[in-house]
Amino acid sequence: MLEIRNLTKSYGDVLALDRFSLDLAKGEVLGLLGPNGAGKTTLISILAGTLGGFTGTVTFQGQSLFASRQLKNRLGIVPQDMAFYEDLSAMDNLLFWGGLYDVPRAELKRRAAEILELVELAGRAKEPVKKFSGGMKRRLNTAIGLLHKPDLLLLDEPTVGIDVQAKVSILDIIRNVGAAGTAVIFTTHQLAEVETACSRIAIMDKGRILAQGTLDELVRIVGERTFVEISGEFGAGAFSEAIQDMPAPSVELMSAGDNLALLAVSDTDQIPRVMDRLFGRKLAVTDLTIKSPSLETVFLKLTGRSLRD
Amino acid sequence: MRRLGRVLHVARNDVWRMVRDRPFFFWTLAFPIFFIVVFGMLFKAGDAAPAVASLTVVNQDEGRWGAYFVDKIKAPNIEITVVKAEPADFTRLIVLPPDFSARIEARRDQALAFKKRAGASERAAARVETRLFQAIARVLSELVLYGDGDLTTFLDGHPEVADLVRVETRFPEKTVTAVPSGFDHSIPGTTVQFIMMMVMIYGGISVMEDRKKGVLSRLLCSPLSTGELFQAKLLGRWSMGVLQALMLFAVGKAFFGLNLGSAPLALLVLAVFALAVAALSVFAGSLLTREDLIVGVSVLLANMFAGLGGCWWPNEIVPPAVRKLAMISPAYWAMDALHALRFFQGGLRDILPHLGILLTLAVVLAVLAARTFRVRP
Repeated sequence: MLEIRNLTKSYGDVLALDRFSLDLAKGEVLGLLGPNGAGKTTLISILAGTLGGFTGTVTFQGQSLFASRQLKNRLGIVPQDMAFYEDLSAMDNLLFWGGLYDVPRAELKRRAAEILELVELAGRAKEPVKKFSGGMKRRLNTAIGLLHKPDLLLLDEPTVGIDVQAKVSILDIIRNVGAAGTAVIFTTHQLAEVETACSRIAIMDKGRILAQGTLDELVRIVGERTFVEISGEFGAGAFSEAIQDMPAPSVELMSAGDNLALLAVSDTDQIPRVMDRLFGRKLAVTDLTIKSPSLETVFLKLTGRSLRD
Repeated sequence: MRRLGRVLHVARNDVWRMVRDRPFFFWTLAFPIFFIVVFGMLFKAGDAAPAVASLTVVNQDEGRWGAYFVDKIKAPNIEITVVKAEPADFTRLIVLPPDFSARIEARRDQALAFKKRAGASERAAARVETRLFQAIARVLSELVLYGDGDLTTFLDGHPEVADLVRVETRFPEKTVTAVPSGFDHSIPGTTVQFIMMMVMIYGGISVMEDRKKGVLSRLLCSPLSTGELFQAKLLGRWSMGVLQALMLFAVGKAFFGLNLGSAPLALLVLAVFALAVAALSVFAGSLLTREDLIVGVSVLLANMFAGLGGCWWPNEIVPPAVRKLAMISPAYWAMDALHALRFFQGGLRDILPHLGILLTLAVVLAVLAARTFRVRP
């Protein structure tokens, strides 16, 4: 349904997307996971048609996504911003935003009522949106993108700044939309969200996809070992030097950055030895976390950074 | 939905949101009406004469000349009430004494008392007084020509010689028929001023806020193009200006007896003027990034253009040099066109240069606004 090939976009000297390529099938929910600045919003903006000045191709349902504005009737966008009118009611907002698409008025009213039920806002449909909580606003933001029943839905960090209950609600909506046949690209830097909602996950950093697959496929990248995340006051070089001569199968440095490193160890007995090496080099360790193989350890291995960075 | 439909959809939403805003009616209607009243009273040129002046004639005459004289006073803009005894309440009053006819027939002089209630319009009184002099002149002329015999009997049989002396007004074209003053000046003046102020403030801020909140970006995620979005924003703000003009003119007509000369042409002037202001508001909203800046610039520009452009006082009374300087204000071209229609019996041909200049200004500002129009912060 969607083929992205070699999409490249720069802001001055900063490369936001670096020959980015991706395929997406009908009904597939792709979680695009990456830290801030990875290029996720740039990608969504290009696909939404609000950002130009890029190279590469995007083919949607067999034709260039940018060939005709009419194609946008099949595209739903949920931006990171709460982009709607807070002085209008939820229903008025839906009727306005839905009115921009080729949906007959009577059908639009019916769909607006349906979607308000879906996002659990039917009881507050006629209230000005400015009275809504953050979670309710996020749900409305999502509802606007779904109203015209798009074939491809793009969501840019749709769960930012809301409580757990609202997050769960939005993730449910995303799953259901995918199950109904809509292809979804959903950007986030919350590991748990992609684990919960997505059928496929792509890890993205510095404008490129580093790895992609199902959750199990990605976890296999780091293998069945124990992982140790060490935080402290040290440089990447000093940390690497400290453990460089430790036996490779027993202790493997997965990634090292300034103040954060990830090690894979064959068993937990190796951990005191590692600590001895670090203390011997007078490297200050402030935190140590033992982890099972997970998306987080995959992300750390691939990017050398925690998603919190 | 076709392109035009989408443009109208977005523009209608902008107008709808503005109208729903509670302070809207205060700032676009109540506050301007306060200005209209203040400036209407300040520049009413003495008083506001009613379109039809009332006159009570106390006809105590025992002969037939009294009724004859009353007949000569009649005019479309004078409403005459004939009574026998002097009423306690009147606006303007003239008394024809019992010996009115007897003194005329005896060729004896007489004085008629013409009174005005305190506070009644001086200009209306002057109009009635002029009519009285005309009536006296007509009666006298007939007396001179036919007064040897029984004049009234003669005139009854010869209506073709009645009113031998008449005044037919033949003023040159473009004669000022009324001094630009009162509500006929303050209503258009205030309307022009507040169209500038409100369209720039409301229109500018909403463009800026929509950009900051990502609403403009999201609009472009729909099949709407940037050009169509710009047209919609322009149309929305133009509609705000025209709506405000219609509201203030309606109030002016209903409560202040507003006379625009030609109402359709006056509305045409304001429609073209509103287009220039709409473009200016999109330009300001695209260029400025803070609400306080937009409000400050809008208030400053609107008041400067209003004062200079003749919204507060007629430009006809300012020195020629100031009048020349005023031409930099869009308000000047709107007010000058409105004065041409109301006070100088102008028609479409007379205001074409004004419309041309305002339209050119609108195009220039629209081009500037289009070039600076941004959907992202």
